[in-house]
Amino acid sequence: MAIELLGYRSWRGKLRAHGWACWPIVRTGLWIVLRRKIFWVLLALGLINFLLNFAGIYIISFLTTQNPNIKKMIGGFLEELLITSGKSEEYLDFMFRQGTVTMLLLAFAGSQLIGGDYQQGGLAFYLSRRIDRRHYVIGKLLTIVSLVLLITTLPALALFFEYGLLSDSLDYLRDNMRILVGIVSYGLIMGVGLSLLLAAIAAWVPRAVPLVMTWACVFILLPVVGENLRHIHGNRMWRLLSFWRDLRLLGKWCLDALVLERDEDRLAYWAAWIVPAICTLCLIAFIRRVRAVEVVR
Amino acid sequence: MTMEKMSVMNPNLLGTQSSQAPAEPSATTVPLADHAPLVIFQEVSKWYGPVIGVNEVSIELRPGITGLLGANGAGKTTLIKLLAGQLRPSLGDVLVCGVRAWSAAAKSHVGFCPDVDVFYEEMSGRAFVQTMARLHGFDRRAASERTEEVLAEVGMSDRADRRLRGYSKGMRQRIKLAQALVHDPDIIVVDEPLNGIDPVGRRELMDLFQSLGRRGKTLLVSSHILDEMDTLAERVLFMGRGRILAAGTLKEIRDMLDNHPLQLRISADRSRELASRLVHWELVRGIELRGRDDLWVQVHRPSEFFPRFADLVLNEGFEIGRLQTTDVTAGAIFDYVMKEAAHF
Repeated sequence: MAIELLGYRSWRGKLRAHGWACWPIVRTGLWIVLRRKIFWVLLALGLINFLLNFAGIYIISFLTTQNPNIKKMIGGFLEELLITSGKSEEYLDFMFRQGTVTMLLLAFAGSQLIGGDYQQGGLAFYLSRRIDRRHYVIGKLLTIVSLVLLITTLPALALFFEYGLLSDSLDYLRDNMRILVGIVSYGLIMGVGLSLLLAAIAAWVPRAVPLVMTWACVFILLPVVGENLRHIHGNRMWRLLSFWRDLRLLGKWCLDALVLERDEDRLAYWAAWIVPAICTLCLIAFIRRVRAVEVVR
Repeated sequence: MTMEKMSVMNPNLLGTQSSQAPAEPSATTVPLADHAPLVIFQEVSKWYGPVIGVNEVSIELRPGITGLLGANGAGKTTLIKLLAGQLRPSLGDVLVCGVRAWSAAAKSHVGFCPDVDVFYEEMSGRAFVQTMARLHGFDRRAASERTEEVLAEVGMSDRADRRLRGYSKGMRQRIKLAQALVHDPDIIVVDEPLNGIDPVGRRELMDLFQSLGRRGKTLLVSSHILDEMDTLAERVLFMGRGRILAAGTLKEIRDMLDNHPLQLRISADRSRELASRLVHWELVRGIELRGRDDLWVQVHRPSEFFPRFADLVLNEGFEIGRLQTTDVTAGAIFDYVMKEAAHF
């Protein structure tokens, strides 16, 4: 029967629980980002780094079977760029590089993911459904967390397992569970931190250009200011003004890679207070803005 | 809470209102039809800081089409957002099928078609409606089925795969309507659906609204295009300065506007003689002769005038070519109501 002949009829089926509504929000958000060319360009950048490491691990592993001293020969040359020894610091650096790409991506995606709902009135459609603001907030945050995990954590996990599988025995995987947990934890910290920060900024500064400028201020200007203040006052604590550095310090703590000589344990302690505080403030700001949809434009 | 229970709990709300004048701009509650009300506003006020959006509004909505008319800034959008659960009242309560309008339970009874023209531009109409269905709790298959049904209903099945970016204003309205209908709501709230639509599209949308109204759906259609409301809405709510200025059918409201005599256009064979007879009636406030046969008569208390006029025509053998009321339109009544409201 042609669908036109079916016409309108009442629906009396059973609906799913409210919580499921987060998933279509995530899916729609990812769809919005994935169909942008800029995303694929930035993903390709991230992918280059990943493929380089992936191939590097494979080649070094292959060459090591031919000549056990090969690691010493090429290690010094490549250890800045590639995962050559499987140490936690190398995964941290890899995720940090990937995170830089993610930051760029989020700067462009923010106005599409969240800003658009305010600028174009999409929020009215969401909030008229059988869900409340909580589902909208969770759905949007999960979307951003998914993007962060997709570019940082998943590739790092893939490299970890590749390194483990290509090593002499599977002992590497068993002995370095701390690295596995650290990668996931750092990924989650980055995901939660960046998602809340982006959501708060995009909700209050929905237009693309101001959003990118605000984002750049947070991740470029503030670190520069912090660095200058450190030089002026001679106090390393000023470096905590950089949210990105704070996340990295927590990542180092998760991966057990803190450099104690640089007093990083003390900085990490304060970062552990600063990051949750900023996240809480961002969450409050985002929720307030979602509530503020009440005010007629 | 059922409607019956609510009626008992609030006897003033349902039982004693019919005698009150709907045109009075106060917190009156006006039953709009004989069916049970699906929506109840109980002395609702909403402030935006120092600005009042809606002021002590008490109304009931029942199945059928209700037009919401008012100038810009009258409080229409606030009222609609209160009903759609997107706003919480500062005072009072908005009940949808017995539950508060902002609860998830109430939202499953309401389909909201906002006055937003730009949304997910890169999405196809079909994908947009499906997403809205999924948000509502439909699983993938049910969402797909419902989407096809409502797209067929709004006449967009064959054009739903195009991106929203390429849609005309009328097509966007249809897609918005489809997403509002996708969960089969009892109440459909449509904000300014006829804005920028060409006459053909307007006619089609109005037919669609009327068919939904005939199916027992409760429609609240906001518009500042008054002409369409004459044919579309069974009942109207006039809003001004955040208050309900008048509620009821156009005829009911017109009859209550005593200060504005009804304008009649009468074409008769012996128009001068007819005018000379009518001019002595106390019900007739004024007569103007236009052209050869046309009389423009201003009449007080039309319910008394018409039987008496019929007797006169029959007894004296006048041939009436036309008997037309010229100001029982939404536009004319709206003007009168606004003038009356200015006195308060």
